[in-house]
Amino acid sequence: MSSDFYKSSILPFAGIIIKLCRAYTNSQEDFEDYYQEVCLQIWRSKDNFREESQWSTWIYRISLNVCLTLLKKKKNNVQHFVSDSITAEETENNYAFPNESLNLLYDAIRKLSEIDRAVIMLYLEEKSQKEIAEIIGTNPNNIGVRVRRIKIRLKKILDGKIN
Amino acid sequence: MEKSIENIWREGFVESDALVAPKINNLYNQKSIHIIDKFKRMFKINLIAIVVFSFAFLFISFFVGIPITGIIFFVTLSALVVINKKLLNDLEKIDIGISSYQYLKAFNQWINKQISINKRFSKFLYPIIFMSLVLGFWFKDAEGEPLGERLVSKILTGFPETYLVFGIPAIGIVIALIIIGLLALFGGQIYKWDLKLVYGRIFKKLGELMTDIESLRS
Repeated sequence: MSSDFYKSSILPFAGIIIKLCRAYTNSQEDFEDYYQEVCLQIWRSKDNFREESQWSTWIYRISLNVCLTLLKKKKNNVQHFVSDSITAEETENNYAFPNESLNLLYDAIRKLSEIDRAVIMLYLEEKSQKEIAEIIGTNPNNIGVRVRRIKIRLKKILDGKIN
Repeated sequence: MEKSIENIWREGFVESDALVAPKINNLYNQKSIHIIDKFKRMFKINLIAIVVFSFAFLFISFFVGIPITGIIFFVTLSALVVINKKLLNDLEKIDIGISSYQYLKAFNQWINKQISINKRFSKFLYPIIFMSLVLGFWFKDAEGEPLGERLVSKILTGFPETYLVFGIPAIGIVIALIIIGLLALFGGQIYKWDLKLVYGRIFKKLGELMTDIESLRS
């Protein structure tokens, strides 16, 4: 990777990488690890980019895959090494956005399943159903229904009806 | 909840400091460690493969009646493995805690040393392998007589004027010497082709990374 590669090919998409990594982490330290790992994987896999999809779609896909992989690893580690009394899902106090409503929304998103988190993030990023399906690797027809269900669930979480 | 989640999302990220990309200083460390780890892994696998092959070939050579080839192969490849194992130990001594630039520099120096030693060794390795094959088949038992001697008898029957040196046709010795000479001459080059084939991609990435870090330092 030339230093230009990061600036020209990753940095313009840093926003979505940050948003995705935030949805899968609970601390600044984890977030930075995830972000770096995503950048590293993009650089490592850049030769595999076949231009069959847009570069941005490809970045979304890598970001998502890295986040899901790291989350899985983290869960395994938690199961093996951390006592049950410590909840891995607790969000650190210093790990917050300046906007309080956004923090509440993120907390709610973190309560969703891994795939639902990805679906809703991509939806909120105004990706089309086709693009979401392409990134996640599912049928576009199911995405609309899924988004509606997730939004209902998020609303319930935000209204405090479910934990 | 009053606002829709779409609005919360949109408004939340309007504030400029909501999306600050973390510094990626550590990225170069991760990348260099990744590249070097990958090389170490491949290097170890390569050495293990050579050991397995030399044992297997030694075993097979006794069965097919060319034990001389098997023994020479085994001894030569064992020497190759011992030399490269020592080199690998030097590689393991590189301190992972130093900066990525120093780490890559140290690795690069190690690579150059490794290439230089193996290039010199290859000038002997390929001729020895060729000679071991010639000797193995020469002394292979062919109905109670070494195959080489049997072959010479047949040649002498067809060409009685053939000039012999120590019972071997001179033309055969000349051809063998030419092949040995060429293998010795191009042994280093053959090794470099082999190296490029196995580790080419890693070296390319390493080169890119070095250039990248150097451009950041300048």
